[in-house]
Amino acid sequence: MMKKLIALMFILALSVLLVACVSNHNSTSNQDTDNSEDGTSTETEQEETQSDEEEEVELTYWYWADNSEYSNLMQDIIAEFNQTNDKGITVIGEEYPWDGGGYSETLFTAGVGGGGPDVAAFKLTSTPLFTANDLLVNLDDYINNWKDKADIEENLYDIMKSASGTENLYVMPWNTQILYMYYRPSIFEKAGVDVPTTYEELLTAIEKTTMDTDGDGNTDIYGFGMRGATGGQEPWGSFIHARGGDFKNMTSEEAIQGMQDFIDIYENGYAPPSATTDGFNEIIANFKSGRTAMTVHHTGSSAEMVETFGDDVSAFPFPEGVGQWTSMGDTNNVIFESTEHKEAAFEWVSYLATGKGQEDWTIATGNVPVSTRVQEMDHFQNDKFMKASIEGVPFAGILPIKDTTTEWISTVWPNTTASALLGDITAEEAMQQLHESLHEE
Amino acid sequence: MRRKKINLWPYLLVLPALLIVTFVVFIPVIEAIFMSFQSYDLRRPDKIAYLGFKNFAEMFSDPIFWLAFKNTIIWVVFGVGLQFLFGFILALLLNQSFRGRGMIRAVSLIPWATPGVLIGLMWKWIYDGNYGVLNDLLIKLGLIDQGITFLSQTSTAFGSVIVTIIWQGIPFFAIMILAGLQVISQEMYEAADIDGASKLQKLFHITIPSLKNVIIITILLRIIWVSNSVDIIHNMTGGGPSYSTQTLSVYIFNKATVLDLGYSSSMALFLMFMLAMVAVPYLKNAFKER
Repeated sequence: MMKKLIALMFILALSVLLVACVSNHNSTSNQDTDNSEDGTSTETEQEETQSDEEEEVELTYWYWADNSEYSNLMQDIIAEFNQTNDKGITVIGEEYPWDGGGYSETLFTAGVGGGGPDVAAFKLTSTPLFTANDLLVNLDDYINNWKDKADIEENLYDIMKSASGTENLYVMPWNTQILYMYYRPSIFEKAGVDVPTTYEELLTAIEKTTMDTDGDGNTDIYGFGMRGATGGQEPWGSFIHARGGDFKNMTSEEAIQGMQDFIDIYENGYAPPSATTDGFNEIIANFKSGRTAMTVHHTGSSAEMVETFGDDVSAFPFPEGVGQWTSMGDTNNVIFESTEHKEAAFEWVSYLATGKGQEDWTIATGNVPVSTRVQEMDHFQNDKFMKASIEGVPFAGILPIKDTTTEWISTVWPNTTASALLGDITAEEAMQQLHESLHEE
Repeated sequence: MRRKKINLWPYLLVLPALLIVTFVVFIPVIEAIFMSFQSYDLRRPDKIAYLGFKNFAEMFSDPIFWLAFKNTIIWVVFGVGLQFLFGFILALLLNQSFRGRGMIRAVSLIPWATPGVLIGLMWKWIYDGNYGVLNDLLIKLGLIDQGITFLSQTSTAFGSVIVTIIWQGIPFFAIMILAGLQVISQEMYEAADIDGASKLQKLFHITIPSLKNVIIITILLRIIWVSNSVDIIHNMTGGGPSYSTQTLSVYIFNKATVLDLGYSSSMALFLMFMLAMVAVPYLKNAFKER
């Protein structure tokens, strides 16, 4: 009887614990939602904000890094900020893989589920999704009262605002990456081509630098390291614009011709046969192993390129055809509405935007700084990759940010382009599908 | 007349498990059913509304859905079918007496014990068109001149991922069938020997009939698991190129990760219905044994 009684009590305790866990989770989520829906600071928040100044504050910061060196760098920046800030702020950096954009999905799921960080590194393309779900803090007042506001060019703020589709600023600029073309001077010399200054010259250079170097009848060097997997829409966009097309109307004759050029490069064997599924790792590995003569990326990879090739690697901006366009990558920071320490969070993102964090990160990663003070440093003025980036600034742009963009980038573009490259559909059919998927209402 | 006393004890014992299953399985499934009748797209939270059967109508007119459905059939038929065939052969081999049998039995379990994500990454590099070990081997054997881009061509990508799932699932069949083989009475084989039965006759008239229940249950379980499998395809190809490796579960996953939860729930419901049609014989069989 005693045994039965003990077992009964144990079962009841387990059941109560389980129900309590579920109801506790629900009440926490509800509280979070109430705060975010309100849109204004509650009394509790104000009290907590005041207490930020007096008490130790702990912030969770999510970010991604392209390699282990950058992981260590971010941890060093965080450690220095934690030691030097006089407001008792301790940032805890948690790294997540970029995973071809999977980072943004993870961040969103965590934010909606109530388990997101206080601050996170962020890409502009995700802005509508996050703002539509009231996840981000409106930074207008913080920026307007910020002493370093003028250190960042006004046009950057405008791009950040346009991304949200509102007149409000939810994203704090951090650094940009302007795509340019990497090339191997030794291969260009061997092929007898000069650095292209026009789009037509680029197409010729791609053809001529495709070579069979050992005479066995097989291609050993491909002219262009084409990216057909997720992310490939950025270099692809340069081809579309070079023929005079654009993203607003991808079914125009000019845009279709740009797609046809892209297909021709693959079909004529000027790009590796694996291009239909090549992503970031593959295009970089192919270029670094000498398998491709040119590929498109940004300064984020310049340090490892120089480490591999020394002086035998250089860069030029994507040349002008009828039009000219290159993709401006962006890495920014956002503050989550759910954070209890908004002032402290702004302290941290401003340290990364214009403070020592901006210098340390952009110098080490080779990304283009957003702080004009940092841009003027000798380090940035004398670098050939930075020069190609800066030359690309006047015609740099971003993909239209719509609620369809994420799916378009992750699934529609890679599969549709692969179909076109493999000859399953024509350039015209591909552009029709791409246009409809991006602009569907 | 004395009223029969109700014994609450068994109900109390299953209560914690039932609560967990209710919160972790039943409630999410019911939520997914509701979502499948709504435009539940978190990219457009202001437009979430009841749609009736519109998601299902859209699904049946979606060419990618039908391609994914066709791929799912091929994925399951070839994946499970060949897993069974090779698993059966492996089990027969491992049932023989030979030196080092214990070690070989343990080693043959490795593919089953390896996580699907790791298997996907490992085979992605094995198949790599530029640096993959498979191409290296084929070139060194003089069978090909240039690397084959196994995962980048629509003609080879799906076959390549099917080989991977076969490699993963063989040990499961082998273990289950081996366990079945070890309970078959040796007396039946001895009697057959006395009657002069050949090896093939013993296989088809003693071994296979004795393993009938094991085979049915294992195949049905694998059909359900392989149909729902996402990790290997997602890590190897993401469903591409040109949707050629996209099965229904991968399509559901891709749609769910871009937050179109209404549409992905409709497809999930369809897949659940299809799997239920397969699972019913399994359940009937299980209850019949009682």
